[in-house]
Amino acid sequence: MSDTNQTVYVVEDDEAVRDSLALMLRSAGLNVATYSNANAFLSAWNEDMSGCLVLDIRMPGMDGMELQKALNEQHSLLPIIFVTGHGDVPMAVEAMKHGAVDFIQKPYREEELLDKIQSALKQDAEQRHSLQQKQDIVRRVQSLTPREREIMDRMIAGQANKVIAIELDISQRTVEIHRSRVMHKMGTHSLAHLVRMVLSVKDLIDA
Amino acid sequence: MYLMTADASIHTEPTVLLVDDNAQNLKVLYETLKDRGYRLLIANDGEKALALAQRNRPELILLDIMMPGMDGFMVCRQLKANPETADAAVVFLSALDDVDAKVKGFALGGVDYVAKPFQAQEVIARVETHVKVIQLERQLQARNRQLENDQSRILNAISEGIYGLDSTGVIIFANPSAAAMNHSTVEELIGQNFCKLHFSSPCDWSDVSSLPVLATCEQGVAEHQRNVMMRRPDGSLFPAEYRATPKRDGHEILGAVVVFRDITAELARESELEAARRLVQEQREQMAHASRLSTMGEMAAGFAHEVNQPLTAITNYVRVALRLAAADPVDHALLEETLCKIEAQSHRASEVIRRIRGFVRKPASGKEFVGVRHLLEETREFAEVDARNNDIAIDVAVDEHVPDVYADPIQIQQVTLNLIRNALEATRSCGSTDAVDVRARLDEKGMVRIAVRDHGCGLPPDAEEKLFLPFFSTKQDGMGIGLALCRSLVQSQGGEIGFVRQESGGTEFFFTLPVAPAET
Repeated sequence: MSDTNQTVYVVEDDEAVRDSLALMLRSAGLNVATYSNANAFLSAWNEDMSGCLVLDIRMPGMDGMELQKALNEQHSLLPIIFVTGHGDVPMAVEAMKHGAVDFIQKPYREEELLDKIQSALKQDAEQRHSLQQKQDIVRRVQSLTPREREIMDRMIAGQANKVIAIELDISQRTVEIHRSRVMHKMGTHSLAHLVRMVLSVKDLIDA
Repeated sequence: MYLMTADASIHTEPTVLLVDDNAQNLKVLYETLKDRGYRLLIANDGEKALALAQRNRPELILLDIMMPGMDGFMVCRQLKANPETADAAVVFLSALDDVDAKVKGFALGGVDYVAKPFQAQEVIARVETHVKVIQLERQLQARNRQLENDQSRILNAISEGIYGLDSTGVIIFANPSAAAMNHSTVEELIGQNFCKLHFSSPCDWSDVSSLPVLATCEQGVAEHQRNVMMRRPDGSLFPAEYRATPKRDGHEILGAVVVFRDITAELARESELEAARRLVQEQREQMAHASRLSTMGEMAAGFAHEVNQPLTAITNYVRVALRLAAADPVDHALLEETLCKIEAQSHRASEVIRRIRGFVRKPASGKEFVGVRHLLEETREFAEVDARNNDIAIDVAVDEHVPDVYADPIQIQQVTLNLIRNALEATRSCGSTDAVDVRARLDEKGMVRIAVRDHGCGLPPDAEEKLFLPFFSTKQDGMGIGLALCRSLVQSQGGEIGFVRQESGGTEFFFTLPVAPAET
């Protein structure tokens, strides 16, 4: 089920833990990239990175929590699984409040970690898929002419063709032509679907 | 003195007793000697002379030989027989000018002779000479008596036993303390041989040098012994200390003086003191151990992390190894490599545990030769747990040629760890992330000086008086035990502990340790 483009990004300061974790995840068939500290990952980060982040909560220099904060500021969507030591649970809870998907306590069982990684990857894939869909809708909306956009807004508001024609002082026939172009450009045949699509990106297109 | 002036016999001027049956002679003598500073007494027969002499103790008696009844010789004999009057100088007066009488007079204790009819100048001269002699003699005797009194008072009062020994070791003098210590009497002790009396089974009586004190008596070698068992005449034993000093007259050795005392009580006190010392030492070690355990408790989370890391790595590697082993064909090289990594990680975990076990070991192992560099490195690794939590590094620098120290390694590690952890806390609480510096060098006094420097906010102004006192702490939740214990531990190693305020802020704590003696 995992996307072959997805990568598990491991940020861990302990060399042995990092090395062993990378080997184990690779032997389980995952793509792995490792970083020995938070800064190294932060400077390598870009929004196209897909997969999940396995992040040690305690590290010298910038720690896991600080990296999470920095990534949030950059609107990163990478799901984060925090790796914690004994007694770090309060920190992990705090991290969850800031959007981490999960945490796991060292030393962990492989199955448990793989399960968490798999669900994080799934979440990432879904997030990315829905983001792509939204971006697609936005692109379609942006391809409309101002007149088409005006017609679509009135369609979504529930106005009948006749009403639109009267209010805009155009022929009903002209409204029908615009309407069909809108449906075509937006890639749908159903008004109900159009309404859902546009509402899902409402905050993106109104801005 | 006031009372004594009332005594008739005490007069400042010397007393001269004139004895003659002839009143004319007495008158002449009286006239001759009066106004010359003498107190003159007169007797016209022997009985009166004896009575006056007895009562007035004259320095000099001018004594006529030829008297009715008791003659001068008889008076003289009786004067000399009576201790109270024996010291008076008797100068005979007589018309007899024969040699026999003179000889008899001297034989009876007379000191001089004046012939009748006498010359005034001669009488005056002789009286003056003999009075002076007697006066000096009396002073000498008085002084002697006083000295003897003083001496015997001292010998009686002194708590040490004192023996005078002759050159063969026989006791010729013993003071009351010597008798008391022996549960005996002075009389019983005198005449016994010191060695035979006090030392029951000598190894070899023929070897003089092996016998206590005998070498002092015979060869003049001073001797001092402590904690030797001396036997009493009743057979019981007591631990003693004695000093034997040779008695000499020029080159001749006359024997020895032995001063000794029973040290039973002293030994008991010493052993009590020793027991108390041991107890203090024991308690210090227990306290140190308790404090190490408490330190470990505080650092437990850190150590759990230290052990968790290799365990996590091992778990991961094992999974990898299992997959490698299940593959077909098996990649033996990769499998072997993975197994070696597992081994390395298990060593890493056991190293952490070894360090902890070493630190909490009890009792402390005692003093040994300790390499400073190794010890500090090990301590740094130990403290690393806290350093990570505080995000502050620890720098260790040891001067070249810093010699080994002679100390208890665990306690030194404990003190160093305590100072490092304080320094980390001080630095962090001041918001700094500068490294804590640990330095070792040889100081001006030839001690090894280990210093731990923080970048904290400095100590309060009254820290000097209080910092090392128990239950004083500058920390919010500090017990105030750490530094007090550190001082106690360092001092028990023969070192000092202190601190120096840094001009650039922060504090340097240091302690010194004695350099290990050269190995032979």
